[in-house]
Amino acid sequence: MSALPRSIGSRLLPLVARPTVRRAFAPQIRLYADQNASKISAQNAPAEKPADSAIVSREGAGESTPSHQPDYDVSIDYRVSNFSPIPKRVMDGSEPGDSVAAAVLSGAPVDLQARTVRIYRPTKTATQSGDWHSHHWVMDWDPLPKGHRWENPLMGWQSSADFMQGYSVTFKSKEAAVAFANKQGYEYFVQEPNERKFVPKAYANNFVHSPKKLKIIRTK
Amino acid sequence: MINPTYLAVRTRSSANWGDAKTRVLHSYRDWIRAAPEVQNMYSLSLPVPTIRTKIRQEFERHRYVAQLKTVDVLLFNSHQEFQETLNYWKQLTHVLKYFRTEEEPKARLPANFINGFLEGRN
Repeated sequence: MSALPRSIGSRLLPLVARPTVRRAFAPQIRLYADQNASKISAQNAPAEKPADSAIVSREGAGESTPSHQPDYDVSIDYRVSNFSPIPKRVMDGSEPGDSVAAAVLSGAPVDLQARTVRIYRPTKTATQSGDWHSHHWVMDWDPLPKGHRWENPLMGWQSSADFMQGYSVTFKSKEAAVAFANKQGYEYFVQEPNERKFVPKAYANNFVHSPKKLKIIRTK
Repeated sequence: MINPTYLAVRTRSSANWGDAKTRVLHSYRDWIRAAPEVQNMYSLSLPVPTIRTKIRQEFERHRYVAQLKTVDVLLFNSHQEFQETLNYWKQLTHVLKYFRTEEEPKARLPANFINGFLEGRN
């Protein structure tokens, strides 16, 4: 069902005739951005990091951005505004799997299902060596392209139509965050943390014998 | 002896899909039958067929729900709205939330990308 285009015609089909019923293997979660998008090609990828950098990045170059087409036929709710983004897919309770269809039941605005959510682990502060902040996972909303900030005409204060700006949810694990995003019908992408790479060094290795000619002479 | 409020109902879960279907149809019929009463009570300027279309629309929105528990919660919500509307616990604002598109034709998503771009939307 989630792979089929949503059109008005499919909603009027009787339940028996809907192609969903005949699917043999139903995915456990909504098919989302963590599949490699075929539309992102090697030409569009940003430059790769050099091989022996101090950080190890587990994410490929073009893998982190989702790409689905917006659906203009979606039934809107009373909270739609000029700044409402167009949803890619709206949860309607027909998704296979055992997870609660919270997007249907919670009464949350449909706009929330249109906005992309980033699931990441905050990085360690570079100025200190403590990493107390980098153990949990955070879910953060991408800012809206329009309406996220403008200047109030009277006082010059910053006004916003973005009700999720400055709002983030913390989770104990990545799976918990992904399950939450699936349950609520959010478009999400997971940003894997960059792990610190530590190379164990020993001073004695400077004096180790090498049968070949030394490339770098480490002693006087 | 405690007299229950008008339209109060004991919470229950559906035993199976057949039971859920019966409950949904009863709920739908109650709403359709109550449409003229709602129009009269809240002095709506909309004709009764419009209210009935809106009721149908709201029910159709959840037509393809696959889980029985979700259907149970939706039935509960439907009956809650029904009780609140007919007991006059709601106000005009709350009822008109459902009629945003009828009241304000400009409140809609754009038809395609170009229209949205020209309007300056997200």
